Amino acid sequence: MKTISLALIALILAQIAAAKEELVTLPPRDSVQLTIYNSEDLTLVRDNRTLSFKQGDNRLQFSWANTLIDPTSVEFRAIDDKDGNVEVTETSFPPESFEMLIWTVTCKKEGAYKVEISYFTSGISWGAEYQGQVSEDESSMELQGFVTVHNYSGEDYENASVRLVVGVIHMVERVIDLARPRRPSPPVPAPSVPGSPSKENLRKMDSPASGLGGGGGMSRPKEIDKTGLSEYYIYAVEGTETVPNTWSKRLKSLTAPAIPLKTNYYLQPRKFGPLFTKVLEFKNNEEHKLGKEPLPDGIIRLYRRSAAGLTWMGALASKYIAKNDEVKINVGPDPEVTLKEKRLSFKKIDLSFESNGRNRWIVGWTTVEEFEIEVKNFRGRAVGVEIHRTCGGDFDFASDDSFANEDFQTRKFVFALGANTSKKIKFTVTTRGGTNAKK
Amino acid sequence: MKYRIFFSMFGAAGIAAVLSLMSPTPAQARIKLATLPARDKVSVRFDHPTAVLVEEERTISLQKDVNMVDFSWAGTTIDKGSIVFRPVKADSKVVILSTSYPPGENALTWAVYAPAAGSEAFRISYLMGNIQRETSYTALVSKDESTCTLRHNFTIRNWSGEAFDAADFITREGKRFEKAMTNGEAKKVLVNKWDGVKLKKEYVYDTTRHSEGKVLTDYVMMNARDSGLGQIPLEFGKVRIYQDDGKGTTAFTGEDWGKFTPIGDELRLNIGIAQDIKIELKKMVNDRENVRGNVFDTNEVDEYEVKNFKDTAATVVFVVRVQGEWAMQNDSAGFEKFERMDNETIKFWVPAPAKGTPVKLKFHYKRLNNW
Amino acid sequence: MKTLSLRILGAMVALACLAPSLWAKEELVTLPNRDTVQLTIYNSVDLTLVRETRSLSFKKGSNRIQFSWANTLIDPTSVEFRAVTSPEKLEILDTSYPPESREMLIWNIQAEDALSATCEITYFTSGITWAAEYHGMLANDEASMTLTGYVTVLNRSGEEYEDATVRLVVGSINLVEQIAGLARGQREDTEQYKRARDEMKGAATRDWDHNKEIVKEGLSEYYIYTVGGKETVPNGWSKRLESFKQDGVPVSTVYTLDAEKYGFAMTKLLTFKNSTEFKLGREPLPEGIVRLYRVVGANELSFVGAIATKYIAKNDEIKVNAGPDPEVTLKLTRTSMKKTSLTFERNGGWQWVAGWDVVEEFKLEVKNFRKLPGNFEINLSFNGDFDFESGAASTKIDFRTYRFSFKLDANSNNTITYKLTTRNGTNVKNR
Repeated sequence: MKTISLALIALILAQIAAAKEELVTLPPRDSVQLTIYNSEDLTLVRDNRTLSFKQGDNRLQFSWANTLIDPTSVEFRAIDDKDGNVEVTETSFPPESFEMLIWTVTCKKEGAYKVEISYFTSGISWGAEYQGQVSEDESSMELQGFVTVHNYSGEDYENASVRLVVGVIHMVERVIDLARPRRPSPPVPAPSVPGSPSKENLRKMDSPASGLGGGGGMSRPKEIDKTGLSEYYIYAVEGTETVPNTWSKRLKSLTAPAIPLKTNYYLQPRKFGPLFTKVLEFKNNEEHKLGKEPLPDGIIRLYRRSAAGLTWMGALASKYIAKNDEVKINVGPDPEVTLKEKRLSFKKIDLSFESNGRNRWIVGWTTVEEFEIEVKNFRGRAVGVEIHRTCGGDFDFASDDSFANEDFQTRKFVFALGANTSKKIKFTVTTRGGTNAKK
Repeated sequence: MKYRIFFSMFGAAGIAAVLSLMSPTPAQARIKLATLPARDKVSVRFDHPTAVLVEEERTISLQKDVNMVDFSWAGTTIDKGSIVFRPVKADSKVVILSTSYPPGENALTWAVYAPAAGSEAFRISYLMGNIQRETSYTALVSKDESTCTLRHNFTIRNWSGEAFDAADFITREGKRFEKAMTNGEAKKVLVNKWDGVKLKKEYVYDTTRHSEGKVLTDYVMMNARDSGLGQIPLEFGKVRIYQDDGKGTTAFTGEDWGKFTPIGDELRLNIGIAQDIKIELKKMVNDRENVRGNVFDTNEVDEYEVKNFKDTAATVVFVVRVQGEWAMQNDSAGFEKFERMDNETIKFWVPAPAKGTPVKLKFHYKRLNNW
Repeated sequence: MKTLSLRILGAMVALACLAPSLWAKEELVTLPNRDTVQLTIYNSVDLTLVRETRSLSFKKGSNRIQFSWANTLIDPTSVEFRAVTSPEKLEILDTSYPPESREMLIWNIQAEDALSATCEITYFTSGITWAAEYHGMLANDEASMTLTGYVTVLNRSGEEYEDATVRLVVGSINLVEQIAGLARGQREDTEQYKRARDEMKGAATRDWDHNKEIVKEGLSEYYIYTVGGKETVPNGWSKRLESFKQDGVPVSTVYTLDAEKYGFAMTKLLTFKNSTEFKLGREPLPEGIVRLYRVVGANELSFVGAIATKYIAKNDEIKVNAGPDPEVTLKLTRTSMKKTSLTFERNGGWQWVAGWDVVEEFKLEVKNFRKLPGNFEINLSFNGDFDFESGAASTKIDFRTYRFSFKLDANSNNTITYKLTTRNGTNVKNR
């Protein structure tokens, strides 16, 4: 679908109304660059062309019917025009069409100029996804990262250089609303329906020049260059890409063949919920053969490798992972490593009373509770265990097993558990209530 | 005059083959160069507790340079994002460049670079929906109720829309069997059989399990080698229990859900109610004492009358719960042993003589510091 | 109605199992009828275990046997196949449930040789039920009775079982899913089943050969009653069989006051024990209705009472509630009431009562106008912080209940007095 058009309007009779304007041939785009944000439905398009202007006023028409372009964002700029010969002196939005504008470009010196037209569009998005193939003994993982670009903008972008922005930017209005103020509702991605592909899609598929192959007969996956910019990261895809309207395209963004992996089991309700869960851990750093760039949020799908093939482990949504940050992948409870908690005893001590003559009532007390947590490892390999326990109020925490303070009210036990063994930890929580509590 | 500006098109030089893989029927429209590769191998893996991973191997003829390989799955449910496509050979020179998803279709296209023309074997793995599995067991208990033969069945129901001509089905424990299955078909296969599995029979009184206070009959077996099991963790599933009636036939004596039982853990199955053992609870003392203002202790005696009408003596395990701070008193009586399982729970093992001779379990306790 | 069918599929197409659409082309070989059939019917749940044997011929190699059960209430997940003879030569490769039919399965059986074998097919069906009932004929003096037990089998399963060995299971087995639901591929109690149970309770049954012997044996926590010989139970019919008959079972009558159980009136309870002293006790008695009649005059019967009993274990006691008897009366009179031990609280010029005791004296008169002696049991329960005193002997039943037990001759009476002191307000101990 080609819907954006640019035309030069030659005035036949200067004194007569615009109705008699003539449209003059324009050269094709020299290049187009897409900068796609994933935190907002926003893409910045830079469209470079070489135009010939005569001296004086030139009128240039830009139209974008059936696209999701924000009209307020369309900018015109001459590049490499050091002398300031070319300037837009007026931008008019004709009443007959919402999806068109006319620039009046005043040129001091006739000639060919490079210009850049930039605008925001909605409808193009990108997402990251990851595939992790865990080794059979869970000691390492091959991680592949992908970025997928989805184009529902209404415009085909051919041979575009693609840049992806990782980070959360601030927007005061939504581009989709600016693009279609009269639209009843924002566009929805086409539903996935089974059936044969349309002729249109086949045409694009078959076209030898469509660039679906990744462009230019590449013999390796495209490099995706990652650069930091302010608080954001920009992933630039090598070469150019063609993403026809309504298509999606997935490109590999990273491969880390053997990330060392740790398997730990956590009872840490604030982080992993109430269940005792299995967590695979690594860090986005060099030690773990990563750390060259942050990992944008996306779905991680995990498989276990074995001689016989792949085994499905599970999928989960990962948040943005900064460089050097640690990654904990919660793969859920493992029935072969179990945890059982018991309250062994419960006592109330140090009761204190107040009275007013005949009546007496309790005002202070202390509860003493003994707990036992038993962790059983039925697996044939050693595992790490971390148990967090959060207490409330004015409490003392005591245990013969070694523990550490996680925060003012949370204590944690960290230990390793050998293959086919079990361990019991005991602890006592003394909680002072009423007037016994330290104020 | 109005001119449209077209993208300049310089594309992949070597788009050669558009191959259609795995297309039961309608997606045949996608075939361009009709080298439809048959599946070399298919396996269906049930090793994840809920998801089903299908893995297939195909040999594809590739041209030199970039090939477009098309994969579509009309009529079936495949999780698009879960698809893993890779050459079988670890040192393969073939490279997967990108994946394109056409609009509105259950299909995708891989751009595959080959340095030279030739055949290449690929593995495709994906999660497939609407394949259900169920584990079930039958236990044939000996006449004396000391051992059983445990049969472990695995049932697969295929509603995926896909027919498997000959696939390797792989259970969680790694047992594999080759079967053909049409869409809509279900198949049940005996995967394991263990003879001489040791059983223990227990009579349990626990009002949280039976609110009317009936005595339950449980069989307890250990998933361990010395009990005749212990080879694999036992999956969750229904266990139907039959008993040898001593006359060459068997009688069904009950069923229960068997929980997932790792190696080394015990499996407890309730077969039904032991109706020849009757328990009657009477509260004999219900007093307050040690009153301090609004704080008091209670003094309570619960008497359980146990009548075992069977011809042989039995032991009944009482599981009794008291909330809060409490202490059992020394004159509690009528039990062989007891164990405080946790603060709230106490277990008594109560011997009950045969033929209905009543015995009493006296549980004397004080609930302390109530307000 | 015969709806079950068993067939051997002779595959005309060599690779039939690889091309399931070709099943339609398979040749069906209908098999011989059942050699034997055994029904094990449970009464605690809607469940019957059917075990049938048939002689089947196998060819060497792969054999496919189709089993179908349209319009029955069979649970498809329960159907099992077992070779009774030559089990070492026959291996079940799998059980397949074809997509076209919910009510059919195919066994894929590998035979080492061509052979003929006796095979057993077992499955669960719902819709066959059984229930017990009892008739007690009391002698004129109500001191003994003739007790007859019956079992009634009702078949609503959709299948006719001819010449079946019938076994009845007494006991509460655990079922985690309803068979009727599984038979339909769903999990709910069916109308058909409810109707069957209702009809069973009151409807027409036909009496059967009274000479059939019912053999009772224990198995685990259950009892199995095996009906002698063979029975044919057509679909839709029910059949009643005599389970036992015992003369001279001693019966004692206890007139009981237990307001929480029977209301505030002397209730006549006829009691006996399922034990050898009572000429019973050979087996437990399954739950059912016990109807008691008294023989009056020239072999005429008068109805005494009926009770739905629970399962009665061996040596356990049965109490049949014959309702209040107008010839036995009870009168409770409060003869005095006093308030004592009053304590007061004060606040300046004000004074008010804060604690008091209530002391009450009661008289309980029991009169037996009957021409027969009887046993009496009076249970009294009280609330609050109380003391109980009486000149008559009493037993403490629990922390708030006392019992008087005594005998009364024909046309005699008994008067009991007792004193009840109840503490209120601040007088309550350990308030």
